[in-house]
Amino acid sequence: MGSKSKALPKGISAAEFDKAVREMRAIVGDEHVLVDEEKLAPYRKIMMPVPDEQHELSASVMPDGVEQIQRIMKVANKYRVPVYPISTGKNLGYGSAAPVQRGQIVMDLRRMNRIIEVDPELCTALVEPGVTYQQLYDYLQEHKLPLWFSCPAPSAIAGPVGNMVDRGVGYTPYGEHFMFSCGMEVVLADGQVLRTGMGAMENSNTWQVFKWGYGPTLDGIFTQSNFGVVTKMGMWLMPAPPDFRPFCIQYPNETDITKIVEALRPLRIAMVIPNAVVIAHTLWEAPCTPVKRADYYTGPGAIPDDAVKKIQADHNIGAWNVYAGLYGTKETNDANWKIIEAVAAGTGGKIITQEASKGSKALEYRFDLMKGKPNLGEFGLYNWRGGGGSIWFAPVSQAKGSETLKQMQMAKTILGKYGFDYVGEFIVGWRDMHHVIDLLYDRSNPEQMEKAYACYDELLHTFAKEGYGMYRANTAFAEKVAATYGPVKRDVEKRLKKALDPNNIIAPGRCGISL
Amino acid sequence: MRTRAWAGCLGVLTLATAAGSAVAGQWRDGAELYQKVCGHCHEANVGPVLKGRGLPPEYIQRVVRMGNRAMPAFRPTEIDDATLADVARRISTGAVLARE
Ligand SMILES: Cc1cc2nc3c(=O)[nH]c(=O)nc-3n(C[C@H](O)[C@H](O)[C@H](O)COP(=O)(O)OP(=O)(O)OC[C@H]3O[C@@H](n4cnc5c(N)ncnc54)[C@H](O)[C@@H]3O)c2cc1C
Repeated sequence: MGSKSKALPKGISAAEFDKAVREMRAIVGDEHVLVDEEKLAPYRKIMMPVPDEQHELSASVMPDGVEQIQRIMKVANKYRVPVYPISTGKNLGYGSAAPVQRGQIVMDLRRMNRIIEVDPELCTALVEPGVTYQQLYDYLQEHKLPLWFSCPAPSAIAGPVGNMVDRGVGYTPYGEHFMFSCGMEVVLADGQVLRTGMGAMENSNTWQVFKWGYGPTLDGIFTQSNFGVVTKMGMWLMPAPPDFRPFCIQYPNETDITKIVEALRPLRIAMVIPNAVVIAHTLWEAPCTPVKRADYYTGPGAIPDDAVKKIQADHNIGAWNVYAGLYGTKETNDANWKIIEAVAAGTGGKIITQEASKGSKALEYRFDLMKGKPNLGEFGLYNWRGGGGSIWFAPVSQAKGSETLKQMQMAKTILGKYGFDYVGEFIVGWRDMHHVIDLLYDRSNPEQMEKAYACYDELLHTFAKEGYGMYRANTAFAEKVAATYGPVKRDVEKRLKKALDPNNIIAPGRCGISL
Repeated sequence: MRTRAWAGCLGVLTLATAAGSAVAGQWRDGAELYQKVCGHCHEANVGPVLKGRGLPPEYIQRVVRMGNRAMPAFRPTEIDDATLADVARRISTGAVLARE
């Protein structure tokens, strides 16, 4: 009988595919390979403005262990079937759990969810790909370990390995997640197991404390790439500070972004503010407060500025809302608080402290995220337009006021042209900002699907023309985004791919890398 | 002294333990799942309230697997069939869905 798979890998016959599936079943157990269309439904759900068929998977294989993955690699090479590894599979708005291209077998690592080690003295952890932030949080609570981690907004259901491998960001002082990872274990396409950094040495006990090892440091090539399957990752935890003082500073005008960035950058670079400052626009805050769009605007196109002004006034939301925190002792925070007060006063901002924040869901979830407490408060965004469509447009900006204003105005103009609202925020690294825009649309409306695709395309190319590149991108636009970074980088990536994965087995097309 | 609290977390035991508490496929029951996953939206004004509506358990299970508009879909590796059936039954019948 022929294969039940709806989307066979390119160039593979049903008979060959069935053989590969049979061999994979022998490795992981029958129940841990799914081929039936109905059973694969959870992998198929995407938020991007392209047809589901474009990212249809062939099957899902769910190993539980490194050795199983090594054996799956052998099968994949033998039959030339591509596998697409996911960890917790919640890359929502970037591709979710669906493969980058139609006809790939998703390798779902969620069953591998052991917290292998937590060292409370060195403040490190070693985790498997299936561990969620919620699970790690519960573990630290249960063991009464006063340690914090940084997590992204969908923290309750996403996990550190998948997030770090896609170079995601969070909101504590450890918010640049790849920077605070330390040591990886990677299964390569040929089945070999590489440990990066100090982990390459047998008997080393410094894998989670020293990142570089000897010779070239390799961790980076396993992020936003397809050169291996990451099976363990070390991460640094931060000691819970004796005093944590989160705050929000609200500003009344869109153009205030210039002075906000100029005033905050020095504090961030000098680490007076140690965490990734977020500067969120009204329309990011409103749905999470929550405010209903339909109460303010039901006409065609993007919501007009005067309606946005009214929302600000009615719900005490700034045009820009700056979120940051002080992490220290009472004494150091008292001293630094004076600086924050002076900056707010000098720039016309209104401070909202934790005590004054009560009643706003938006403030509550943000303050929780700044101490790494998992929640899903940001999903309020999806009540704004409804219909479950979302793609993140996420260009990098310098942390300079003039640049942020320019990017914001460019984005707002292009979004408006297609009838979409500017729902954006800036996440301040040390010297850069991740300018993150949620392009929200109704995925059940074919016209909006088309417009959302065209809008993202125009955003991408207009920004690239100005020299602005993406920090990360959804799978539907992987190829186009990769192209904006020029031919030499792509050629090097291709040569690495050829060397490490000559049969093009691991996630071909991810981040535009394929043979 | 508050500064001592900071130092206090250092220099205790080194533990090397396998596995956290809530291992996927090993949720204690539907109530734990509801609290750790569903409740983050459905008890927080983000997703609609589910309790007390007499929603059929089959419908709940289907939505969890398929997703619904912005609600993410959940794979069997995240929520096993038995726990899903239990949470759906609890929501549907108004049984205890304990929250801390
Ligand atoms: C409302 C909302 C808010 C969000 N906020 C944030 C935010 O604050 N910060 C942020 O960073 N993101 C954010 N996101 C995006 C996304 O949901 C998170 O980044 C999430 O952590 C990614 O999903 P994951 O952790 O399950 O990773 P996965 O989906 O498991 O992995 C992501 C990708 O990495 C690759 N990969 C995963 N695991 C492996 C592996 N073991 N080996 C090799 N390759 C692998 C795969 O290509 C995979 O598709 C948000 C999304 C939503 C819907």
